[in-house]
Amino acid sequence: MDAVVASAVWFIGLFQAGAKYFTGLVTGIIPLVIVLMTAFNAVIALIGQERVDRFAVFASRPGWAYTPLRYVALPIVAVFFLTNPMAYTMGRFLPERLKPAFYDSAVSFVHPPLGLFPHVNPGELFVWAGIALGVTTGYGAATTARLAVAYLIMGVVVIFIRGIVTERITAALWKAPAQTPETVAVAGEGEAP
Amino acid sequence: MKAFTNFLERLGRGTGKVVGTLYQAGRDSVDQVVKNILPFMAFISFVIGIITATGVGSWLAHVLRPLASNPIGLIVMSLIVGFPVLSPVLGPGAVIAQIIGTLLGTTFASKALPASIALPALFAINPQVGCDFIPVGLALGEAEPYTVEVGVPAVLTSRLITGPIAVILAYFASFAFGF
Repeated sequence: MDAVVASAVWFIGLFQAGAKYFTGLVTGIIPLVIVLMTAFNAVIALIGQERVDRFAVFASRPGWAYTPLRYVALPIVAVFFLTNPMAYTMGRFLPERLKPAFYDSAVSFVHPPLGLFPHVNPGELFVWAGIALGVTTGYGAATTARLAVAYLIMGVVVIFIRGIVTERITAALWKAPAQTPETVAVAGEGEAP
Repeated sequence: MKAFTNFLERLGRGTGKVVGTLYQAGRDSVDQVVKNILPFMAFISFVIGIITATGVGSWLAHVLRPLASNPIGLIVMSLIVGFPVLSPVLGPGAVIAQIIGTLLGTTFASKALPASIALPALFAINPQVGCDFIPVGLALGEAEPYTVEVGVPAVLTSRLITGPIAVILAYFASFAFGF
């Protein structure tokens, strides 16, 4: 009888550990996330899609000098206002051969803002929150706040690098087949093979 | 009098719009929490609960700690997770990154890992971000089929370079940010 009771206690204990963790998550994360997301959802709705589109047209110009616009400003605006996954629709204003680089930098920015702007990708909050919760428990909330800011800033640096590197790799791969986009354009097809 | 009623009407409309927008924003966030965040919390609590209660957690932490406790290990981790064949498989829903992140989180909670490693770790667990989604993401950007054909290998290869770079930069930035 004692063995049965002991095993039952052990069995429930498996889930009690999870339940305790769940309580911590629900009380520790959800209230802040709901209030933050409400604020940013409202800001986005009030600013509106047209203004964001206009900015995207402005930021989408080709040319080396505009790389900070294309791979920093545009992904940030796209991810902040359109969120994952609609942010990638902003790629439609770019020339074909720059689209992979834009996608790479935009998709790499769906996690770094999560500490401050959880509305951008609530479904994948734990890429950030998993580590952040541990840091809060071990080193305090102030360290986590510093980490949130550092993650956001480093995210900006990394998406810029990703944009440039992927643009280069795309260009290298683009020349490999017989037809380059230039010859296609000259042929008047206006379409990639 | 006409001007005054006009003003009142405009004020009413404006207030209604703002309040409506805010209310809708609240509804959207609660929807998001119920549909996306709570289910994941339930899932991760179940997993974490089981592995901590059975002791698998401390075993996994032992395996991950040498990898996560120094920059070389983190670079190796980013290379593994960002490897072109693995990255699209590990990508979906960022589930792998979220589980590894949460496991690492428990080692930060017990102070087994220093806070200075948290920033590079955030990048080391995530070089595969979006690698499962490249064709769809490019299609959302109205890309031609040829762009997708070139773009998929371009992004996957790029990650092999930029993944470790991100970890190295984050490692050094970590000190600049005062961890």
